[in-house]
Amino acid sequence: MYRLSRLKYVFPIGLFVCLFLDGSLSHVWAPLFFRYPYSMASELVILWLVLSYFFENGIEIPLIPFAIAAGVVADVYISGILGLYMVLFPCIVALTRLLAHYFNPSFLTNIMIFFIDIVVFATVNYWAYSLVGITSVGFGDYLAFSLAPTLALNLVYFVVLYWPIRALYSWATTEKTV
Amino acid sequence: MQKFFSNRRLVIIVVILVVCFGLMAGSVTLRNRRNTPPLIQQFGNDIVGFADSAVALPVNWLQTSFSSVNDLMNTYSENRELKQQVTELAQTKVRDQTLAHENQQLKRELKLGKSMTDYDTVTAAVLTRTPSSWQQQLVINKGQSSGIKKNMPVMSDGGLVGRIVEVNKTNSKVELLSDTNEASSRFAISIGGSNDQLVNGIITGYNADRNELVMGQVSSKAKIKKGTKVVTSGMGGVTPKGLYVGKVARIGKDDYGLAQKVYITPASNFNDINIVTVAESTAQE
Repeated sequence: MYRLSRLKYVFPIGLFVCLFLDGSLSHVWAPLFFRYPYSMASELVILWLVLSYFFENGIEIPLIPFAIAAGVVADVYISGILGLYMVLFPCIVALTRLLAHYFNPSFLTNIMIFFIDIVVFATVNYWAYSLVGITSVGFGDYLAFSLAPTLALNLVYFVVLYWPIRALYSWATTEKTV
Repeated sequence: MQKFFSNRRLVIIVVILVVCFGLMAGSVTLRNRRNTPPLIQQFGNDIVGFADSAVALPVNWLQTSFSSVNDLMNTYSENRELKQQVTELAQTKVRDQTLAHENQQLKRELKLGKSMTDYDTVTAAVLTRTPSSWQQQLVINKGQSSGIKKNMPVMSDGGLVGRIVEVNKTNSKVELLSDTNEASSRFAISIGGSNDQLVNGIITGYNADRNELVMGQVSSKAKIKKGTKVVTSGMGGVTPKGLYVGKVARIGKDDYGLAQKVYITPASNFNDINIVTVAESTAQE
Protein backbone atom coordinates (compact mmCIF):
# COMPACT_ATOMS: atom_id res chain seq x y z
CA MET A 1 0.00 0.00 0.00
CA TYR A 2 1.47 3.28 -1.13
CA ARG A 3 -0.42 5.28 1.47
CA LEU A 4 1.00 3.34 4.39
CA SER A 5 4.63 3.14 3.34
CA ARG A 6 7.45 5.59 3.84
CA LEU A 7 7.41 6.04 0.10
CA LYS A 8 4.49 8.39 0.62
CA TYR A 9 7.05 10.98 1.71
CA VAL A 10 10.22 9.71 0.08
CA PHE A 11 8.90 9.56 -3.48
CA PRO A 12 7.35 13.06 -3.89
CA ILE A 13 10.15 14.80 -2.00
CA GLY A 14 12.75 12.99 -4.09
CA LEU A 15 10.88 13.85 -7.27
CA PHE A 16 10.81 17.57 -6.62
CA VAL A 17 14.34 17.66 -5.24
CA CYS A 18 15.44 16.03 -8.50
CA LEU A 19 13.48 18.56 -10.51
CA PHE A 20 15.11 21.50 -8.73
CA LEU A 21 18.52 19.84 -8.71
CA ASP A 22 18.33 19.61 -12.52
CA GLY A 23 18.09 23.39 -12.63
CA SER A 24 20.63 24.03 -9.89
CA LEU A 25 23.24 21.67 -11.30
CA SER A 26 22.80 23.15 -14.78
CA HIS A 27 23.45 26.53 -13.22
CA VAL A 28 26.41 25.56 -11.05
CA TRP A 29 28.08 23.35 -13.65
CA ALA A 30 27.16 25.50 -16.63
CA PRO A 31 30.81 25.77 -17.81
CA LEU A 32 30.86 21.98 -18.01
CA PHE A 33 27.33 21.36 -19.33
CA PHE A 34 27.17 24.08 -21.95
CA ARG A 35 30.71 24.21 -23.29
CA TYR A 36 30.49 24.92 -27.00
CA PRO A 37 29.61 22.98 -29.12
CA TYR A 38 28.31 20.40 -26.65
CA SER A 39 25.30 20.88 -24.46
CA MET A 40 24.08 18.42 -21.89
CA ALA A 41 20.64 18.39 -20.37
CA SER A 42 20.47 17.04 -16.85
CA GLU A 43 17.43 14.74 -16.51
CA LEU A 44 17.41 13.62 -12.90
CA VAL A 45 13.59 13.67 -12.90
CA ILE A 46 13.47 10.93 -15.50
CA LEU A 47 16.08 8.97 -13.58
CA TRP A 48 13.95 9.24 -10.44
CA LEU A 49 10.74 8.23 -12.21
CA VAL A 50 12.32 5.26 -13.96
CA LEU A 51 14.16 4.00 -10.89
CA SER A 52 11.01 4.41 -8.81
CA TYR A 53 9.24 2.11 -11.21
CA PHE A 54 12.05 -0.46 -11.00
CA PHE A 55 12.36 -0.38 -7.21
CA GLU A 56 8.78 0.13 -6.08
CA ASN A 57 8.79 -3.48 -4.91
CA GLY A 58 5.12 -4.23 -5.32
CA ILE A 59 3.94 -0.97 -3.85
CA GLU A 60 2.17 0.79 -6.65
CA ILE A 61 3.26 4.39 -6.68
CA PRO A 62 0.86 6.60 -8.66
CA LEU A 63 3.67 7.42 -11.07
CA ILE A 64 1.61 8.92 -13.90
CA PRO A 65 -0.17 11.61 -11.81
CA PHE A 66 3.12 12.55 -10.17
CA ALA A 67 4.85 12.64 -13.56
CA ILE A 68 2.14 15.02 -14.81
CA ALA A 69 2.56 17.21 -11.71
CA ALA A 70 6.34 17.34 -12.15
CA GLY A 71 5.84 18.07 -15.84
CA VAL A 72 3.52 20.99 -15.14
CA VAL A 73 6.02 22.48 -12.69
CA ALA A 74 8.87 21.99 -15.17
CA ASP A 75 6.83 23.63 -17.93
CA VAL A 76 5.67 26.62 -15.94
CA TYR A 77 8.66 27.33 -13.76
CA ILE A 78 11.73 26.02 -15.53
CA SER A 79 11.13 26.38 -19.25
CA GLY A 80 8.22 28.84 -19.39
CA ILE A 81 6.83 27.06 -22.45
CA LEU A 82 3.74 25.05 -21.57
CA GLY A 83 2.67 21.73 -22.98
CA LEU A 84 5.82 19.67 -23.44
CA TYR A 85 7.02 18.14 -20.18
CA MET A 86 3.53 17.66 -18.77
CA VAL A 87 2.88 15.14 -21.54
CA LEU A 88 6.39 13.82 -22.05
CA PHE A 89 7.06 12.77 -18.43
CA PRO A 90 3.99 10.50 -18.20
CA CYS A 91 4.77 9.12 -21.67
CA ILE A 92 8.24 8.14 -20.48
CA VAL A 93 6.72 6.34 -17.47
CA ALA A 94 4.35 4.48 -19.80
CA LEU A 95 7.23 3.61 -22.12
CA THR A 96 9.26 2.27 -19.21
CA ARG A 97 6.31 0.09 -18.14
CA LEU A 98 5.90 -1.18 -21.68
CA LEU A 99 9.59 -2.03 -22.10
CA ALA A 100 9.95 -3.55 -18.65
CA HIS A 101 7.44 -6.26 -19.59
CA TYR A 102 9.85 -7.68 -22.12
CA PHE A 103 12.94 -7.98 -19.93
CA ASN A 104 13.97 -9.63 -16.69
CA PRO A 105 14.91 -6.93 -14.24
CA SER A 106 18.65 -6.60 -13.80
CA PHE A 107 21.12 -3.73 -13.79
CA LEU A 108 21.95 -4.17 -17.48
CA THR A 109 18.38 -4.32 -18.73
CA ASN A 110 17.44 -1.40 -16.48
CA ILE A 111 20.21 0.78 -17.84
CA MET A 112 19.20 -0.18 -21.36
CA ILE A 113 15.59 0.82 -20.73
CA PHE A 114 16.80 4.12 -19.23
CA PHE A 115 18.99 4.64 -22.31
CA ILE A 116 15.98 4.21 -24.61
CA ASP A 117 13.92 6.53 -22.39
CA ILE A 118 16.49 9.31 -22.63
CA VAL A 119 16.84 8.91 -26.39
CA VAL A 120 13.07 9.11 -26.85
CA PHE A 121 12.72 12.00 -24.41
CA ALA A 122 15.51 14.10 -25.94
CA THR A 123 14.40 13.38 -29.50
CA VAL A 124 10.73 14.23 -28.92
CA ASN A 125 11.84 17.34 -27.05
CA TYR A 126 14.04 18.39 -29.99
CA TRP A 127 11.37 17.56 -32.55
CA ALA A 128 8.64 19.49 -30.72
CA TYR A 129 10.82 22.53 -30.12
CA SER A 130 11.97 22.64 -33.73
CA LEU A 131 8.34 22.43 -34.89
CA VAL A 132 7.35 25.31 -32.64
CA GLY A 133 10.42 27.26 -33.74
CA ILE A 134 12.39 27.46 -30.52
CA THR A 135 15.42 25.78 -32.04
CA SER A 136 16.70 25.55 -35.58
CA VAL A 137 19.58 23.14 -35.07
CA GLY A 138 19.98 20.47 -37.76
CA PHE A 139 19.28 16.82 -36.94
CA GLY A 140 22.91 15.76 -37.38
CA ASP A 141 24.13 18.49 -35.05
CA TYR A 142 21.47 17.48 -32.57
CA LEU A 143 22.69 13.88 -32.58
CA ALA A 144 26.34 14.75 -32.18
CA PHE A 145 26.31 17.80 -29.95
CA SER A 146 23.19 17.44 -27.84
CA LEU A 147 21.97 13.85 -27.69
CA ALA A 148 25.34 12.17 -27.25
CA PRO A 149 26.55 14.41 -24.37
CA THR A 150 23.12 14.26 -22.72
CA LEU A 151 23.18 10.47 -22.85
CA ALA A 152 26.70 10.39 -21.46
CA LEU A 153 25.80 12.63 -18.55
CA ASN A 154 22.60 10.82 -17.66
CA LEU A 155 24.14 7.37 -17.88
CA VAL A 156 26.82 8.56 -15.46
CA TYR A 157 24.01 9.71 -13.16
CA PHE A 158 22.39 6.32 -13.53
CA VAL A 159 25.52 4.36 -12.68
CA VAL A 160 26.39 6.59 -9.73
CA LEU A 161 22.89 6.78 -8.28
CA TYR A 162 21.55 3.29 -9.04
CA TRP A 163 22.71 1.59 -5.83
CA PRO A 164 22.12 4.52 -3.44
CA ILE A 165 18.56 4.90 -4.71
CA ARG A 166 18.00 1.15 -4.54
CA ALA A 167 19.16 1.18 -0.92
CA LEU A 168 16.86 4.11 -0.21
CA TYR A 169 13.91 2.30 -1.73
CA SER A 170 14.56 -0.96 0.06
CA TRP A 171 14.58 1.02 3.31
CA ALA A 172 11.43 2.88 2.34
CA THR A 173 9.49 -0.15 1.10
CA THR A 174 10.26 -2.81 3.69
CA GLU A 175 9.69 -1.15 7.03
CA LYS A 176 6.30 0.33 7.21
CA THR A 177 5.17 3.05 9.49
CA VAL A 178 1.76 2.49 10.97
CA MET B 1 -0.46 -4.77 -31.21
CA GLN B 2 -3.29 -4.30 -33.69
CA LYS B 3 -5.52 -3.22 -30.85
CA PHE B 4 -3.05 -0.59 -29.74
CA PHE B 5 -4.25 1.91 -32.28
CA SER B 6 -7.95 1.27 -31.83
CA ASN B 7 -10.20 4.11 -32.89
CA ARG B 8 -10.77 5.56 -29.49
CA ARG B 9 -7.13 5.51 -28.54
CA LEU B 10 -6.11 7.11 -31.80
CA VAL B 11 -8.57 9.95 -31.29
CA ILE B 12 -7.32 10.54 -27.76
CA ILE B 13 -3.68 10.57 -28.89
CA VAL B 14 -4.40 13.02 -31.69
CA VAL B 15 -6.35 15.28 -29.34
CA ILE B 16 -3.51 15.26 -26.82
CA LEU B 17 -0.98 16.05 -29.54
CA VAL B 18 -3.06 18.95 -30.84
CA VAL B 19 -3.59 20.36 -27.34
CA CYS B 20 0.12 20.01 -26.64
CA PHE B 21 1.29 21.86 -29.69
CA GLY B 22 -1.44 24.45 -29.26
CA LEU B 23 -0.25 25.11 -25.72
CA MET B 24 3.38 25.30 -26.79
CA ALA B 25 2.79 27.65 -29.71
CA GLY B 26 0.35 29.66 -27.63
CA SER B 27 2.72 30.13 -24.73
CA VAL B 28 5.55 31.16 -27.04
CA THR B 29 3.46 33.89 -28.68
CA LEU B 30 1.77 34.95 -25.44
CA ARG B 31 5.15 35.27 -23.85
CA ASN B 32 6.40 37.62 -26.54
CA ARG B 33 3.28 39.72 -26.40
CA ARG B 34 2.19 39.99 -22.80
CA ASN B 35 4.01 41.91 -20.10
CA THR B 36 3.34 39.32 -17.43
CA PRO B 37 2.12 35.74 -17.67
CA PRO B 38 -1.50 34.95 -16.65
CA LEU B 39 -2.18 35.28 -12.93
CA ILE B 40 -2.45 31.54 -12.28
CA GLN B 41 0.89 30.92 -13.92
CA GLN B 42 2.45 33.75 -11.93
CA PHE B 43 1.05 32.38 -8.69
CA GLY B 44 2.35 28.90 -9.45
CA ASN B 45 5.73 30.29 -10.36
CA ASP B 46 5.98 32.18 -7.09
CA ILE B 47 5.14 29.15 -4.97
CA VAL B 48 7.53 26.91 -6.91
CA GLY B 49 10.17 29.62 -6.63
CA PHE B 50 10.03 29.40 -2.83
CA ALA B 51 10.35 25.63 -2.92
CA ASP B 52 13.18 25.92 -5.41
CA SER B 53 15.22 28.21 -3.18
CA ALA B 54 15.26 25.43 -0.57
CA VAL B 55 17.29 23.36 -3.04
CA ALA B 56 19.04 26.13 -4.97
CA LEU B 57 20.43 28.03 -2.01
CA PRO B 58 22.37 25.11 -0.44
CA VAL B 59 23.75 24.10 -3.85
CA ASN B 60 24.78 27.67 -4.62
CA TRP B 61 26.30 27.97 -1.16
CA LEU B 62 28.35 24.82 -1.75
CA GLN B 63 29.60 26.18 -5.03
CA THR B 64 30.55 29.52 -3.49
CA SER B 65 32.49 27.84 -0.72
CA PHE B 66 34.36 25.68 -3.22
CA SER B 67 35.20 28.63 -5.39
CA SER B 68 36.30 30.70 -2.40
CA VAL B 69 38.84 28.02 -1.51
CA ASN B 70 39.95 28.21 -5.11
CA ASP B 71 40.17 32.00 -4.90
CA LEU B 72 42.31 31.74 -1.80
CA MET B 73 44.99 29.96 -3.82
CA ASN B 74 45.67 32.87 -6.11
CA THR B 75 45.05 35.64 -3.62
CA TYR B 76 48.63 36.84 -3.53
CA SER B 77 49.16 37.51 -7.21
CA GLU B 78 45.66 38.88 -7.58
CA ASN B 79 46.18 41.23 -4.68
CA ARG B 80 49.33 42.66 -6.19
CA GLU B 81 47.57 43.31 -9.47
CA LEU B 82 44.50 44.78 -7.85
CA LYS B 83 46.53 47.19 -5.70
CA GLN B 84 47.84 48.79 -8.84
CA GLN B 85 44.35 49.16 -10.21
CA VAL B 86 43.01 50.64 -6.98
CA THR B 87 45.36 53.60 -7.13
CA GLU B 88 44.11 54.39 -10.61
CA LEU B 89 40.52 53.77 -9.59
CA ALA B 90 40.52 56.40 -6.83
CA GLN B 91 41.47 59.05 -9.37
CA THR B 92 38.82 57.87 -11.85
CA LYS B 93 36.18 57.80 -9.15
CA VAL B 94 36.78 61.38 -8.08
CA ARG B 95 36.74 62.51 -11.67
CA ASP B 96 33.54 60.56 -12.28
CA GLN B 97 31.89 62.25 -9.31
CA THR B 98 32.90 65.68 -10.50
CA LEU B 99 31.65 64.98 -14.01
CA ALA B 100 28.35 63.56 -12.76
CA HIS B 101 27.87 66.64 -10.63
CA GLU B 102 28.66 68.94 -13.52
CA ASN B 103 26.34 66.95 -15.75
CA GLN B 104 23.50 67.41 -13.29
CA GLN B 105 24.10 71.13 -13.09
CA LEU B 106 24.17 71.51 -16.84
CA LYS B 107 20.99 69.47 -17.21
CA ARG B 108 19.27 71.66 -14.67
CA GLU B 109 20.33 74.79 -16.54
CA LEU B 110 19.00 73.34 -19.77
CA LYS B 111 15.78 72.39 -17.93
CA LEU B 112 16.36 68.80 -18.95
CA GLY B 113 14.84 66.03 -16.86
CA LYS B 114 16.29 62.57 -16.61
CA SER B 115 18.03 61.33 -19.71
CA MET B 116 18.83 57.85 -20.96
CA THR B 117 22.00 57.61 -18.90
CA ASP B 118 20.03 57.68 -15.64
CA TYR B 119 19.09 54.26 -14.37
CA ASP B 120 18.37 52.39 -11.16
CA THR B 121 19.65 48.90 -10.55
CA VAL B 122 18.19 45.85 -8.84
CA THR B 123 20.59 43.12 -7.79
CA ALA B 124 19.36 39.53 -7.85
CA ALA B 125 20.77 36.05 -7.35
CA VAL B 126 20.43 33.31 -9.94
CA LEU B 127 18.30 30.39 -8.72
CA THR B 128 18.41 27.94 -11.61
CA ARG B 129 19.21 27.53 -15.23
CA THR B 130 16.92 25.72 -17.66
CA PRO B 131 18.39 22.23 -18.12
CA SER B 132 17.89 22.13 -21.85
CA SER B 133 20.01 22.38 -24.95
CA TRP B 134 17.48 24.63 -26.62
CA GLN B 135 16.96 27.42 -24.14
CA GLN B 136 19.63 29.58 -22.55
CA GLN B 137 17.56 30.85 -19.69
CA LEU B 138 18.04 31.69 -16.01
CA VAL B 139 15.57 32.15 -13.18
CA ILE B 140 16.46 34.98 -10.80
CA ASN B 141 15.03 35.63 -7.37
CA LYS B 142 13.58 39.12 -7.86
CA GLY B 143 10.36 40.03 -9.65
CA GLN B 144 7.58 42.54 -9.99
CA SER B 145 7.64 43.38 -6.30
CA SER B 146 11.24 44.61 -6.67
CA GLY B 147 10.35 46.74 -9.66
CA ILE B 148 11.45 44.41 -12.43
CA LYS B 149 9.60 44.71 -15.71
CA LYS B 150 9.69 42.77 -18.95
CA ASN B 151 12.45 43.57 -21.47
CA MET B 152 14.78 45.19 -18.94
CA PRO B 153 18.47 44.58 -19.66
CA VAL B 154 20.35 42.26 -17.32
CA MET B 155 24.05 42.62 -16.54
CA SER B 156 26.66 40.52 -14.79
CA ASP B 157 30.40 41.02 -14.25
CA GLY B 158 29.88 44.55 -15.52
CA GLY B 159 28.68 43.46 -18.94
CA LEU B 160 25.33 42.93 -20.60
CA VAL B 161 24.19 39.29 -20.44
CA GLY B 162 20.54 39.22 -21.44
CA ARG B 163 17.01 40.42 -21.13
CA ILE B 164 14.03 39.80 -18.82
CA VAL B 165 11.45 37.69 -20.68
CA GLU B 166 8.97 36.74 -17.98
CA VAL B 167 8.13 38.50 -14.75
CA ASN B 168 6.35 36.98 -11.76
CA LYS B 169 5.80 38.54 -8.36
CA THR B 170 8.97 37.22 -6.73
CA ASN B 171 11.03 35.72 -9.52
CA SER B 172 11.66 36.28 -13.19
CA LYS B 173 13.23 34.60 -16.17
CA VAL B 174 16.22 35.96 -18.04
CA GLU B 175 17.04 34.99 -21.61
CA LEU B 176 20.77 35.14 -22.25
CA LEU B 177 22.30 36.82 -25.28
CA SER B 178 23.59 33.40 -26.30
CA ASP B 179 20.04 32.10 -26.83
CA THR B 180 19.16 31.41 -30.43
CA ASN B 181 15.77 33.05 -30.03
CA GLU B 182 15.82 36.08 -32.30
CA ALA B 183 14.23 38.53 -29.90
CA SER B 184 16.63 37.85 -27.07
CA SER B 185 19.71 39.64 -28.27
CA ARG B 186 18.31 42.65 -30.14
CA PHE B 187 19.89 45.47 -28.19
CA ALA B 188 20.60 48.91 -29.65
CA ILE B 189 24.33 49.50 -29.34
CA SER B 190 26.87 52.08 -30.44
CA ILE B 191 30.59 51.99 -31.12
CA GLY B 192 32.96 54.92 -31.29
CA GLY B 193 34.42 55.08 -34.81
CA SER B 194 37.05 57.29 -36.40
CA ASN B 195 36.71 61.11 -36.29
CA ASP B 196 34.44 60.94 -33.25
CA GLN B 197 31.71 59.39 -35.34
CA LEU B 198 29.36 57.09 -33.49
CA VAL B 199 28.35 53.93 -35.28
CA ASN B 200 24.84 52.90 -34.21
CA GLY B 201 23.23 49.54 -34.76
CA ILE B 202 21.73 46.52 -33.09
CA ILE B 203 23.04 43.16 -32.03
CA THR B 204 21.75 40.81 -34.70
CA GLY B 205 23.00 37.47 -33.48
CA TYR B 206 25.37 35.37 -31.48
CA ASN B 207 28.16 33.26 -32.87
CA ALA B 208 28.47 30.41 -30.38
CA ASP B 209 31.42 28.99 -32.27
CA ARG B 210 33.73 31.86 -31.29
CA ASN B 211 31.68 33.34 -28.43
CA GLU B 212 31.09 36.59 -30.30
CA LEU B 213 28.10 38.87 -30.60
CA VAL B 214 27.38 40.01 -34.13
CA MET B 215 26.34 43.51 -35.12
CA GLY B 216 25.15 43.20 -38.69
CA GLN B 217 24.15 45.63 -41.44
CA VAL B 218 26.48 48.44 -40.46
CA SER B 219 26.35 50.80 -43.42
CA SER B 220 28.35 53.61 -41.82
CA LYS B 221 31.68 54.31 -43.51
CA ALA B 222 33.40 55.20 -40.24
CA LYS B 223 36.44 53.09 -39.46
CA ILE B 224 36.08 50.97 -36.35
CA LYS B 225 39.18 49.89 -34.51
CA LYS B 226 39.68 46.49 -32.93
CA GLY B 227 39.35 46.66 -29.16
CA THR B 228 36.96 49.62 -29.14
CA LYS B 229 34.47 49.42 -26.29
CA VAL B 230 30.85 48.77 -27.23
CA VAL B 231 28.00 50.20 -25.15
CA THR B 232 24.22 50.28 -25.40
CA SER B 233 22.98 53.37 -27.19
CA GLY B 234 19.74 53.95 -25.29
CA MET B 235 17.68 54.01 -28.48
CA GLY B 236 14.30 52.36 -28.18
CA GLY B 237 13.69 53.71 -24.73
CA VAL B 238 13.76 50.63 -22.53
CA THR B 239 17.49 50.01 -22.24
CA PRO B 240 19.50 52.80 -20.63
CA LYS B 241 22.44 54.34 -22.44
CA GLY B 242 25.98 53.37 -21.59
CA LEU B 243 25.74 49.76 -20.42
CA TYR B 244 28.96 47.96 -21.27
CA VAL B 245 28.52 45.18 -23.83
CA GLY B 246 32.06 44.17 -24.81
CA LYS B 247 34.95 44.94 -27.10
CA VAL B 248 35.23 44.80 -30.88
CA ALA B 249 36.98 41.55 -31.83
CA ARG B 250 37.10 41.83 -35.61
CA ILE B 251 35.31 43.41 -38.51
CA GLY B 252 34.05 41.61 -41.58
CA LYS B 253 31.81 42.09 -44.58
CA ASP B 254 28.29 40.74 -44.73
CA ASP B 255 27.30 38.03 -47.22
CA TYR B 256 26.76 40.48 -50.09
CA GLY B 257 29.87 42.56 -49.41
CA LEU B 258 27.87 45.75 -49.04
CA ALA B 259 27.66 46.37 -45.33
CA GLN B 260 30.09 45.78 -42.51
CA LYS B 261 29.63 43.19 -39.85
CA VAL B 262 31.19 43.83 -36.47
CA TYR B 263 32.06 40.96 -34.15
CA ILE B 264 32.05 41.77 -30.46
CA THR B 265 33.61 39.77 -27.63
CA PRO B 266 31.11 39.99 -24.75
CA ALA B 267 32.42 41.34 -21.45
CA SER B 268 30.94 38.56 -19.34
CA ASN B 269 30.98 34.80 -19.52
CA PHE B 270 27.45 33.52 -20.14
CA ASN B 271 28.19 30.24 -18.38
CA ASP B 272 29.40 31.75 -15.13
CA ILE B 273 26.65 34.01 -13.82
CA ASN B 274 25.77 34.01 -10.13
CA ILE B 275 24.68 37.54 -9.34
CA VAL B 276 22.95 39.72 -11.89
CA THR B 277 22.06 43.39 -11.98
CA VAL B 278 18.87 44.46 -13.68
CA ALA B 279 19.00 48.01 -15.00
CA GLU B 280 15.85 50.09 -15.01
CA SER B 281 15.84 53.26 -17.02
CA THR B 282 14.44 56.20 -15.05
CA ALA B 283 14.07 58.43 -18.09
CA GLN B 284 10.37 57.83 -18.70
CA GLU B 285 9.19 59.30 -15.43
